[in-house]
Amino acid sequence: MSLRTFIFGLAASFGVAWLFIIVVPFIKMRNLEPIQLNEATDGTTGIFYPKRTGRITNGALVYAENGCYLCHSQLIRPTYAGNDLYRSDWGGLKADPDRGDTRRETNVYDFSGEKFAQIGVSRMGPDLSNVGLRVSANYATGGDPAKWFYNHLYNPRQDPKLWKSTCPPFRFMFSERLITGNPSNDAIAIVDDGKKEIVPDSDAQALVSYLLSLKKDQAVPAVLNFAPPKNKG
Amino acid sequence: MSSAIQSTKEQDALLRAGIDRSLRHPVMFFLTSGAAWLAVSIVLGLVASAKVHSPEFLTGCSWLTYGRVFPAHINALVYGWGFQAAFAVIIWMMARLSRKECTAAGLILTAGHVWNLAVAMGLIGILSGSSTGMPWMEFPAFVWPVLLVSYFAIVIWSFIQFRVQPEGHVYISQWYLLGAMVWFPWIYITANTLLFCIPGQPLMGAGINAWYKSALIFLFFTPVALGAAYYLAPKVTGRAVYSYSLAKLGFWSLAIIAPWAGMQKLVGAPIPYFMPYLGAAATVMIFIPAIAASINILRTTLSSSEILAASPSLRFTIAGIIGLLLLGFAAVVLNLPGSTLPLTQFSMSGYGFDILAIYGFFSFVMFGAVYFIVPRVTRREWLSKRLIKIHFLLSVYGIMTVALVALFGGLEQGIGQEDWQQPWEAAATRAYPYAVATTIAWCFILVSNVFFFIHLALMWMCLGRRSVHPTLLVSDHGHATNPHGEDGDVDNAGPGHVVAH
Repeated sequence: MSLRTFIFGLAASFGVAWLFIIVVPFIKMRNLEPIQLNEATDGTTGIFYPKRTGRITNGALVYAENGCYLCHSQLIRPTYAGNDLYRSDWGGLKADPDRGDTRRETNVYDFSGEKFAQIGVSRMGPDLSNVGLRVSANYATGGDPAKWFYNHLYNPRQDPKLWKSTCPPFRFMFSERLITGNPSNDAIAIVDDGKKEIVPDSDAQALVSYLLSLKKDQAVPAVLNFAPPKNKG
Repeated sequence: MSSAIQSTKEQDALLRAGIDRSLRHPVMFFLTSGAAWLAVSIVLGLVASAKVHSPEFLTGCSWLTYGRVFPAHINALVYGWGFQAAFAVIIWMMARLSRKECTAAGLILTAGHVWNLAVAMGLIGILSGSSTGMPWMEFPAFVWPVLLVSYFAIVIWSFIQFRVQPEGHVYISQWYLLGAMVWFPWIYITANTLLFCIPGQPLMGAGINAWYKSALIFLFFTPVALGAAYYLAPKVTGRAVYSYSLAKLGFWSLAIIAPWAGMQKLVGAPIPYFMPYLGAAATVMIFIPAIAASINILRTTLSSSEILAASPSLRFTIAGIIGLLLLGFAAVVLNLPGSTLPLTQFSMSGYGFDILAIYGFFSFVMFGAVYFIVPRVTRREWLSKRLIKIHFLLSVYGIMTVALVALFGGLEQGIGQEDWQQPWEAAATRAYPYAVATTIAWCFILVSNVFFFIHLALMWMCLGRRSVHPTLLVSDHGHATNPHGEDGDVDNAGPGHVVAH
């Protein structure tokens, strides 16, 4: 075998796979066709816009820099690939007070506004696809979910329900400062006989805003809704 | 007639000595700095692993939070140790097999320093909180072009040596090393440009990242290690490779199967349906090249059991090849869609698999190569067989623990994760003992590599034994026949003693 044939063999065996699973899908997925809403099934017309609010770009950066993806996934797999959908608050809420069962698998629009989809490496902790909604509904009941997140980041084992958590604390994202005037609304603790307060820094604020944006509370268009038909009434 | 043979043999020996001399500094630089990074990586791995089960361990400082220490650990292992060990092996073996002295040692050495500097900057970047958040590509984005340019400056000379070598036999090792040399930049440029330079769909980014990780293992580290094993096994035992056609099968099946692997990490994600399943199928099929190459190398060596017992190079190499067999087995067991893949997709088995590949297979073969190459380039023998034995035994115990954690702990944890009727904490509870086991395993591996690093550093400082007898793992001094074969005779008694017999 001459060198030329050999190099050709190396290039061909690699290049075919490279084209078919990297280059072509990359180009095709860059420009997803917008989804047209249908009057009959969606109740409205126009184009489907995934809604997401919060400091997504900054928060995703903090999420990446501090390696949250190592222990938390952001992927609700369809039932053929895993049991994520059966958990009562992972893919939505099993009993949403307004809309009933809102659980659904991850769709391609869930990562809008992000540069890299943090689907995650392992699940030492729970999936975060719906953590914003889950915390509001189940943990911070009646309270401010942002405040719950700040407390959780400061000490992940503070909530008695989560005493077994192995999440590392992110105390370096908080600072202690003298209270001048009224204490901050975001303060998680007042220390030193009411003289000082512990407040989240900008990283913690961005991260919590991002985590709150992870929620599956928007109705998806019928073409993206793979849930089995529900018995109404 | 016999004197003519004698003189060719002497010329050969002189040529080999010349090649070794020309590469002495680059090779020793890559190996010692690689071993130092390995030690750094293991310390970071130990800290990260302890944090998995004891989350309040070392939480005072943002630099030491789990989410930064763990990527620093993996990136130091891959780019600090893995690549530098691979560079040393590539430049030395390609020069020996092409029978050409290296004429660019200074440039290689400079590029090696740049590589180390870039790795150091990247690690500082990760620890100070500028990680990119993409597994195995966490170095801040300014690092990758620097690494790429230094890569070219390091390996291009080996390619040229191969091009200008006198017409003749192309060795199996050369196929593998050339494959790695060609595939790596292709993979690296693709992944980095598509993730850092051209904005794309975020999920496709995750897919490319998963593919990159797998491609780095199977199309760079695997071929480099197999190239080294196909060099060491016949060389040390003095036998020809068992089967040439099996070697061909192993090489081309790797070349055809491995580029498709990797995206099984995204099963269930909204990307084109065929991609993760192709990835799973290809990863399962990796056992074909793994078995072909390991059987071939084992058949070449196992009949020489005395040499296997005596030679440190061979012992490490064979341990690495057994690691490859385990890796091929794990690739099948962990990636079956419909049964085990949903369990392992997000469990610690992914980490275990990576460590099995990088340490249990690749690094063991690299250690084998180190024990072979270093006495030749430094013209000194290893100081102590006891140090070598400690390195071997503790590494084997450590890596066996990690491999068991990969296979069983990951599955156990996955079963807990999939059991949706139980609260989520049940899965974490199942993972706990395996996390503790991993920490203990890292302790063993740390001790073993501290010994390795000290031994290697002493060799680099020319404090090795001046002797014509290689350091063997059995205790007969002197009179035993040299298990490293003819070429194993190192002219360590001083110049002019190159006796070919």
